[in-house]
Amino acid sequence: MSNGKNNSKTPLIIIGLVLIVAVGGAWWFLGQSNAGIKNTNKPTNAKAGQTPIVTNIQGAQPPNMLGSANASVTVEEFADFQCPTCGVMHPKVKEVVSTYGSRIKFIFREYPLAIPAHDKAYEAAVAAEAAGLQGKFWDMQNLLFSNQQAWSANPDYRKVWEEYAAKIGLDVDRWKNDMAGLNAKARVDADLARGRALNVNSTPSIFINGIKLEFEQMTVETMRQMIDAELAKAPNASQPAPSAPAAGNSNTANVEPKKQ
Amino acid sequence: MSDAEIVNEGNGIAKLPLAAALLALVGLFDSIYLTIHHYTGENVPCSVTGGCEMVLTSAWSQIAGYPLSIFGAAAYFVAFSLALLAAFGNRPLWKLFGLQTLVMAGFSFWLIYLQAFVIGAFCQFCLLSAATSITLCIIALASRFWRS
Repeated sequence: MSNGKNNSKTPLIIIGLVLIVAVGGAWWFLGQSNAGIKNTNKPTNAKAGQTPIVTNIQGAQPPNMLGSANASVTVEEFADFQCPTCGVMHPKVKEVVSTYGSRIKFIFREYPLAIPAHDKAYEAAVAAEAAGLQGKFWDMQNLLFSNQQAWSANPDYRKVWEEYAAKIGLDVDRWKNDMAGLNAKARVDADLARGRALNVNSTPSIFINGIKLEFEQMTVETMRQMIDAELAKAPNASQPAPSAPAAGNSNTANVEPKKQ
Repeated sequence: MSDAEIVNEGNGIAKLPLAAALLALVGLFDSIYLTIHHYTGENVPCSVTGGCEMVLTSAWSQIAGYPLSIFGAAAYFVAFSLALLAAFGNRPLWKLFGLQTLVMAGFSFWLIYLQAFVIGAFCQFCLLSAATSITLCIIALASRFWRS
């Protein structure tokens, strides 16, 4: 390896030092940030005094809703099926929704971003809404998020979606027709319009009773704190609201079939 | 042992391999940054103006569950070592360095292609790495012509 006389060891020493710095530095940073994540998860508290944002643009009606339409706390998420962070948020939101069941109203809004990297996002939103026309919105939404990487950069993504449609028991031909039709698209566009009116400019965006969460607040812990705070404001705070599905759409309140 | 063609000009340290070694360090730390970023999992929201991590979370960002950047870091470390040893006079290793950077540059072109045409998004630190690899390759190739 070495061939000089005096300096034969110099490069080896430098290489060794670089190795130590590189591996040691990486190790140290990883340790630091792990500790950081543990610490910061909790104190990112609900910020008091944030004002709710309101608009009279309703979005798709009836909305894709879980929980109870009469709940005092509304959690509204705007998401894009091709957004990786929305995919990461998906299980967290699911956890929160299942924790509170009928004590909250959870609404999912389509917000496909019109950016080149999200070339299939709008179509995916339509696919989910088309499944919703057969009462299977949440099944499709779940599959699209859970398998995001499998279809997102797949040229045959329509085939993949068809498999999902069959898997969740959709009438696949009808679903394909609905994807081409206007109803599903109109729902996506309505959600988009509502999102724009609420100044949604990134996904995921989550509102709890109209208060827009900072990105750092989108943890299970912080969302629970915020929901608890909002529930406490309501008159019958500890009383779970009766599970009353809103009329018209079978995609409302169908994940928490309360056996009461 | 040393042919001292591209090396040992005056003070015994060849400038071109030394520059290559320094550049490889840039690539090394870039890759380490990307690796740390991968494991600390700081997700960024997607927005119209960018910021979304399409590239780093894509199906191509990993090999067997390990982030691509770990392999990049290893490659840059080897490239750095080879270039430094060459700078101190080891000629055969400079050839090996040339061969390695050729492969790295080729791989970089493929990654740029993926970003441009398949994923449809770019990642700055990935592009920095590609630029580093390609420049290393150019340095290696250039050294052949300059001296012969």
